[in-house]
Amino acid sequence: MSALLIRGGRVIDPAQNLDALRDVLLRDGLVAAVGERLGDTDAARECTVYDATNAIVAPGFIDMHVHLREPGHAHKETVATGSAAAVAGGFTAVACMPNTEPAVDSPALVAEVRRLAQAAGLARVYPIAALTRARAGAELAPYWQLHDAGAVAFSDDGAAVRNPRVLRHAALYARDVPGVFISHCEDVELRDDAVMNEGVRSFELGLAGAPDLAEDLNVARDLLIAGDTGKRFHIAHLSTAMSVELMRFARAHDIAATCEVTPHHLLLDDARFERFRADAKVNPPLRAAADVRALRDAVRDGSIDVFATDHAPHTAQEKARLLSEAPPGFSGLEIAVGAYAHALPDLPLSRFIALLSTNPARILGVPGGTLALGAPADITIFAERPWRVDAAAFHSLGKNTPFDGADFQRRPIATIVAGALLMKDGTIVRDVSR
Amino acid sequence: MLARATRFAATPPPRDLLRDVCVVNLFFEASTRTYTSFALAEQRVGADIVALPPGSSSLGKGETIADTALTLAAMGVRVIVTRHPESGFPYRLAESFEGHVINAGDGRHAHPTQALLDLLTLQKEFGEIAGVRVALVGDILHSRVARSNVIGLRALGADITLVGPQTLLPDAMARDGVRIARDLDAVLPHVDALMLLRIQHERIAPGVLPSLDDYARNYRLDARRLALLGRNAIVMHPGPYARGIELTEDVFAYPGWRYAQQVAHGVFVRMAVLDFLVNASTRDANPA
Repeated sequence: MSALLIRGGRVIDPAQNLDALRDVLLRDGLVAAVGERLGDTDAARECTVYDATNAIVAPGFIDMHVHLREPGHAHKETVATGSAAAVAGGFTAVACMPNTEPAVDSPALVAEVRRLAQAAGLARVYPIAALTRARAGAELAPYWQLHDAGAVAFSDDGAAVRNPRVLRHAALYARDVPGVFISHCEDVELRDDAVMNEGVRSFELGLAGAPDLAEDLNVARDLLIAGDTGKRFHIAHLSTAMSVELMRFARAHDIAATCEVTPHHLLLDDARFERFRADAKVNPPLRAAADVRALRDAVRDGSIDVFATDHAPHTAQEKARLLSEAPPGFSGLEIAVGAYAHALPDLPLSRFIALLSTNPARILGVPGGTLALGAPADITIFAERPWRVDAAAFHSLGKNTPFDGADFQRRPIATIVAGALLMKDGTIVRDVSR
Repeated sequence: MLARATRFAATPPPRDLLRDVCVVNLFFEASTRTYTSFALAEQRVGADIVALPPGSSSLGKGETIADTALTLAAMGVRVIVTRHPESGFPYRLAESFEGHVINAGDGRHAHPTQALLDLLTLQKEFGEIAGVRVALVGDILHSRVARSNVIGLRALGADITLVGPQTLLPDAMARDGVRIARDLDAVLPHVDALMLLRIQHERIAPGVLPSLDDYARNYRLDARRLALLGRNAIVMHPGPYARGIELTEDVFAYPGWRYAQQVAHGVFVRMAVLDFLVNASTRDANPA
């Protein structure tokens, strides 16, 4: 297998406290050396060279919350198009949610998603399995068997497990199963038929709104269940200021819980809702400006562990339906890096990378997240380079983004998976050797 | 628009104002008052009228909003009057329709012609709307009538109070020029016009109201509360009203009860809206 030398970049690996100009040598799918002037060594003579001058070389970015839509909704996205969107967006790995048709709740379906990912041969794809059978919230999924098949986490994402007794038993039974429980925190009764955030804007528009309480109550419940059972929980897509406070409470009480935030909740508020279109419809909804500020502060002070997109591709026709009938969510993989940086331009790069690589790798228990010797040769290279979002050019089938036309400053310029350069300057490179 | 409606009320306009203009009434929700009012208005300005009964549209059969708009436009329809249970439907329709769309009520969002007829009623009564003290009572949160009236009343400088229980009138609905009150009895002596809104039985199942009687205890307009009103205060209701719930029969004998005038004004206001949309740009540009 060929070797690749990444030369002249600023290498930042939070896991090793490394931030220096270094060369990185990749061989046989692993990190073979990180050092100065590796290009002068004999070992590097026959290498392909990637010139990373003026760019940042980081351990591969991992998006631990995406929807790849297979099986069942291939018209929205496939594992192949979704993993192409991942590498185009600078991600070497994604973890995909099980709200498919049927739901990924059996070892065979986990294996099927992995097979599709293998065939696509782009980003690493880690299946997240359903937390209850058919995501119906009643019967426990077979956690050990799902783990054996390759599931890295468990979630009924899209909805909360309604019955706290079921969730408590699930957490107790699965306490020792590797694989965190990922909670989509929205109380279905409080959310009801909401299409947006409840507040001044929803009252003005005469639209049904979901109160903050719908999220806060479920975040509190799931954190307390985590504390009660000892199972590790990860709270998906925080959207309210109170959720952040609840996470701080959990940390102060040694509850094993982590959390994530999406690009849209860091950048947009419910003023974005206009002309009764579903362009800004997402669950949990875009909240008030004060919530956006609280989420940014929480990233800065370390209360939030992970950047995750909740990549939710839908067709243009689906998003054009009436507000009540249009599906929620945004296509996120190909705007993510620029959007996070746009929301938090002052965030130190080592923290930026920790939220995109080190932390998700640790929380999911998957390889990567570091450039230590012997680690997988998964690398994201990015640069401070102005660019404009063009949704029509997305590799994802889902062009549904509220950021179409946005100007961002930071851009992924290369994605390397297992030592193979799969994306360069936004173009997907098929490496035939893999 | 109010001046135009007033003119039509004084002197019926020629019946060919909308000659050869095809108007489609696209109602997805049952309606007696508004539907009839629009139909009469359309007849009096001489439009060609097509009424699609609720449930007959292909929208329920997978046709998109844009498909419906294109189909109607291709048949030469110039105006669509529409009522729909979803907030924002007329806006979505207007995006793909070349002609005019008139909102006859969308979800909880807006009912602009109702607000216009209410404004006309106030103007007839008080001469000028600026400074008139208006209280809207009841289910403000779910009321498109209330929302449109607040927009119109604010624009014309009325003094606005919204009255109702917290679940039907969230604190956050207060804003510049709009005050919120919970105690109707305290408000009554200080209003010139009281607009009652319909209370729907559907609010009880989801726990928004405990019972209609409990609501009535604080907000039903009865003989005792009528006596609290100032001497020249008027009482309005968009209809349909529920006897015994938001009002008692005493209201019908109250000299300031203006329901019939409101309904009558509805036809003139809708004639004015139709005339304005179809003719205003061309005719006003070339005054005879």
